[in-house]
Amino acid sequence: MEDTVRVMKWLLDFLKGKWLKHPLHPIIVHVPMATWPGALIFDLLSQWQIGGNAMVRLSFYAIIFGLVASLLAVPTGLLDWTGIKKEKQAWKIGLYHMSLNLIVALLFAINLGLRLHTVREATKVEGAPLLLSAIGTLLLVASTYLGGMMVYEYGISVARMSKKKWRKIAEAGGANVPPD
Amino acid sequence: MLKDFLEGKPLRHPIHPMLVHFPIGLFVLSLLLDLASLAFPSAPHLLRDSFYAMLAGIIFSLIAAVPGFVDYTDIRSDHPGKRTATAHMTLNLIVVALYGINLGLRSSTIADSKISLVPLILSLLGIALLSVSGYLGGKLVYDEGIAVGRHKRRTPTPENTLKFSALPEGAEIVFVPVPDAGRLGEHETLRVEIDGQIMTIAKIDNQFYAFQEFCTHRFGPLSEGCFDGFNVQCPWHNSRFDVRTGKVTQGPAKVDLKTFKVEIRQGKIGVLFARNHDQKN
Repeated sequence: MEDTVRVMKWLLDFLKGKWLKHPLHPIIVHVPMATWPGALIFDLLSQWQIGGNAMVRLSFYAIIFGLVASLLAVPTGLLDWTGIKKEKQAWKIGLYHMSLNLIVALLFAINLGLRLHTVREATKVEGAPLLLSAIGTLLLVASTYLGGMMVYEYGISVARMSKKKWRKIAEAGGANVPPD
Repeated sequence: MLKDFLEGKPLRHPIHPMLVHFPIGLFVLSLLLDLASLAFPSAPHLLRDSFYAMLAGIIFSLIAAVPGFVDYTDIRSDHPGKRTATAHMTLNLIVVALYGINLGLRSSTIADSKISLVPLILSLLGIALLSVSGYLGGKLVYDEGIAVGRHKRRTPTPENTLKFSALPEGAEIVFVPVPDAGRLGEHETLRVEIDGQIMTIAKIDNQFYAFQEFCTHRFGPLSEGCFDGFNVQCPWHNSRFDVRTGKVTQGPAKVDLKTFKVEIRQGKIGVLFARNHDQKN
């Protein structure tokens, strides 16, 4: 029982990025955030059949890589979100951010399924998957903007792990500080 | 105007951290495709795909460099994050140069079925350095608070800390002139250090107010805060304080700020500074 608690705590700290002294979620999300819009770009380039079927394949790999990374982005993001107090504005934004992300991931999963059979030979991405890439990217941009808003507007995860360092600097600078 | 735009102020979000997703994701994808070419030599075109992913990564990294450089120049010269930012920028330039070489080396062999050793090593090295550099970039945001809440500030932030000493010895309360305060515009600030005490001097409604530099929540920089009436708002988590009394007017902060009296004597603007540092307000 005690071991289970210890393992859970270790896992939670791991997902929060404490071992890295850096929140983990914003690191991981670089991958889907780059590869899914990347897939859209490659889909568009494939319309001119650039590089034989290179663009069709590249787009396919980009979507897979994004999906794999998003599997890890979900638990880390969820954990960061549960750390926000419910009455804060950032909590609501986090909820929208999460809902949109789940929709986007689902859209790209369907998108991947649609191109499974044609990826080996096709030199051009078809209309339906191309449209899904476009919608997915659009929603992703909106969603990641909300994610950025949580950081840059509301300071979520900012100075969370460096609080002690800043306290020392503030104390050395003669500031009033709250009790430790 | 252009600087504000490149700092993402109209978007209310810095631009550099938005753009860097692309080189990071694409360079990693390119390495994965290289590795896949070793694992599945019969799969066609993997190296061609890797080449294009890398090319796209380089293009995006050059675009991301522009707002990144603007962000860099806006960090106060004595901020602890300035050194982190210098390392981050230097590493990034090295990474892009490495990928430039990498791309050149593999351009003639994209039809091969297996990646050759030198480009593979360059890709591994690129990702290793990029990871360190990306980590430093994240440290700038999450640890040092660079660019957090910056879009809320309308006026330029202090370029450095002005240091003064409270001469003469002996006196209990000393008038310390701060000549630069005369150049302040409305809602502009100075970051001032007098005998180790760090404070913000702000001009609001043509009056000068001085208060401790560090927010009492997670110690964010109030000299980079924004103003609403007589309230200063911390850029990090939006705590607010009345600059006249130091009192908290909006959480998360719970503890009031230290404040200091600003006077004008014989045309000089200065801070009344108590040497024993216990000017609790």
